Amino acid sequence: MSVRFTLKCLAAAVAIFGFQAGAAMAQQGPLRIEITEGVIEPLPFAVPSFQPESAEAGQMANDLARVVSDDLTGTGLFREIPASAFISTVSDFNAPVQYADWKAINAQALVTGAVNVQGNNLTVKFRLYDVFSGAELGSGLQFSGTTDGWRRMAHKVADAVYSRITGEGGYFDSRVVYVSETGPKDARKKRLAVMDYDGANVQYLTDSGSIVLAPRFSPTGDRVLYTSYETGFPRIYVLDVGSVQRRVLESADGTMSFAPRFSPSGQTVVFSISQGGNTDIYSMDIASGQSVRLTNTPAIETAPSYSPDGGRVVFESDRSGTQQLYIMPATGGEATRISFGEGRYGTPVWSPRGDLIAFTKQNKGRFHIGVMRTDGSEERLLTASFLDEGPTWAPNGRVLMFARETQGASGSSTLYSVDVSGRNLRPVRTPEGGSDPSWSPLQK
Amino acid sequence: MHAGHYISGAGHIGLIGWLLLGGVFQSEPLPFEMTEVSVITGAEFEAMLAAQQAPETPTEVAQPAAPDVAPDAPEIAATPDQVIEQPKPIQTETPPADPAPEVTEQVALPPEAEVIDTPPELDQPSGDVAVIIPELAPRSVPRPVERVAPKPVALPAPEATPDPDTQEAVTPEPAAEAPPEEPQEATAPEEATTEIVTEATQAPKASPRPPGRRPAAPKPQVAAAKPEPESGSSEDDDAAAIAAAVAAAQTPAETPKPATPSGPPLTAGEKEDLRVAVSSCWNVGSLSTAALQTTVVVSVEMAQNGKPLVGSIRMEGSSGGTAASAKQAFEAARRAIIRCGAKGYDLPANKYGQWQSIEMTFNPEKMRVK
Repeated sequence: MSVRFTLKCLAAAVAIFGFQAGAAMAQQGPLRIEITEGVIEPLPFAVPSFQPESAEAGQMANDLARVVSDDLTGTGLFREIPASAFISTVSDFNAPVQYADWKAINAQALVTGAVNVQGNNLTVKFRLYDVFSGAELGSGLQFSGTTDGWRRMAHKVADAVYSRITGEGGYFDSRVVYVSETGPKDARKKRLAVMDYDGANVQYLTDSGSIVLAPRFSPTGDRVLYTSYETGFPRIYVLDVGSVQRRVLESADGTMSFAPRFSPSGQTVVFSISQGGNTDIYSMDIASGQSVRLTNTPAIETAPSYSPDGGRVVFESDRSGTQQLYIMPATGGEATRISFGEGRYGTPVWSPRGDLIAFTKQNKGRFHIGVMRTDGSEERLLTASFLDEGPTWAPNGRVLMFARETQGASGSSTLYSVDVSGRNLRPVRTPEGGSDPSWSPLQK
Repeated sequence: MHAGHYISGAGHIGLIGWLLLGGVFQSEPLPFEMTEVSVITGAEFEAMLAAQQAPETPTEVAQPAAPDVAPDAPEIAATPDQVIEQPKPIQTETPPADPAPEVTEQVALPPEAEVIDTPPELDQPSGDVAVIIPELAPRSVPRPVERVAPKPVALPAPEATPDPDTQEAVTPEPAAEAPPEEPQEATAPEEATTEIVTEATQAPKASPRPPGRRPAAPKPQVAAAKPEPESGSSEDDDAAAIAAAVAAAQTPAETPKPATPSGPPLTAGEKEDLRVAVSSCWNVGSLSTAALQTTVVVSVEMAQNGKPLVGSIRMEGSSGGTAASAKQAFEAARRAIIRCGAKGYDLPANKYGQWQSIEMTFNPEKMRVK
């Protein structure tokens, strides 16, 4: 009896222990892990020379591939794998991709293309592959145009590649209007110029007979607002980029108007008027010329910039005793201060995404380009130098361009771009010095 | 008895006397200053006051010369305004801007008509083996054959089993897996080689043992054991109960179910190794700010060699972003899994059942720009 009882107890114990052990060993569902830390490094990509599909397309095929590579590399998000490292080449645009060859050189993205030139007509098509997934990323695209616009087509290809990989819009097919500067600081000549975002195709819009300041692109990219001292007093002009025709915005005699900027609709201009030693912000309907006063304080208030929805305006004011940033409704009214750090804040510009405001900050003898949330939180300084000022946003809100001036009587001003993360600070090559850049929207 | 009083009184008297006669309360006279004075008459005092008054005669101080006022100074200040020349009209000197190049965008690449993408699996079997993973090329490894005896699979005699009761419970499972012996005996002599290749050198280092591998010949014992339960002895009942309990306890761990992991669980270190391996390939540098706000859960099925099955990678869910940002985040996660798993993750083979199916959560919170 006792033996049987002992055995039964042993059996029960074994059963219970075994069940618990089995339950402990058997996890519910798949193995689960959480990845919280990765790496931040440029994504390696390969762009073999595009395939010429006509006899005239040979050189242009190479040039197109070169511009596409430069666009992607210039973002700092991608790293080009040199052609010397290629194991295989792409000899046919329609041929299957040998993924293994591209995996072997760690090319994570592959761009293939083909170019066809017939007279003045140019056709470019491309495909993007995710090498390690062994699949095409998106579908192939084709662009048609004239041979004069081959750089734009290359930019469009790069925009599509950039957008498919990063998930945000590109900015390569865009232009920048800026003030081209020559000569020493005490006798500097300035004129308006417009260029591709990368500094190519520079064209001058004015001569250097008078001082010009602060050009601003319209939301459609076909007009430019700027300030000129032609009459001895600052006046705001509207310039049609295509025809180079311009007209002055009406303003009362004895006043100085400056710091203009278009509203998102392009129908209204917000700017500053200085009269009797006081500077306030006004808005004007371009069609009717009717002005509305938005601020009315004895302080100096200028550099207004609309929010993307057109509902608010950020500007700089010294009403608190030091130059700080404020936000008010687009129709005027009570303003809310958003900058509270040390130093002085100026030239605020609202991001196209609406989430950030870029600004110039002067503190302890240094100038910075920085960004902050629209409520003033999460301020980050992206640059620091003797003089950095005048930021402008790329169409996708990812990159900023600004002017950096070097110290000394012979110092010059150069355009720079920087990622909103603070990485990838690099100069923009222009034939002459540059300042006051303004980025256009993506071209249609 | 009054000696204390006497002593105290004498002491007090002595103390008081010392204070009075010892000069304790005497002090030195305070120091004082002495100033010599002189006596003067009233006339001398008046004369002295008169000498201290300011002189009535003003001294001549040279006045500063009046500045020469230039009569035309204001005009000089106004000169710059008059000197400024009116600028010439700009349009006459401005080069006309180049017309914007004509670029029309169109989706002119039909997916199948002009460009035919061969599925990657069909196009590159030879290339993959030749270039990427030469180690996977088939090697001429001699088959493990027994050199000594042509009868290698001699089963132990049934008589060797000491405990028929225990064998009775476990016999049903291995009974169906008894290996056929006859064909091996016929082919062994032809494939015998001079090189000894044993199972120890050929077998994987950590492969799981086959569950049904038992040396004893099951069938005869099953046949002999079946009649025994009919005896109805109490000891047999207990043994059967124990065996049933053991079998019931072991059943969940030994039953291979695709959805239920089996084998010992991965240790924390093994999980960490896998996490670090995937992290090293998770590149978020090219992700948009929206994608960096998105957490994605990705599932993947693994092959026994530790390589992910690319076709099995799929997104189970996402949070914190839009569908577009989740797509970008998923593609970055998929690239990470494939890239670092190209040569196989270092996972314990004997725990394959645990990591055959993996669910990875990619949370980029720490990777955002602060």
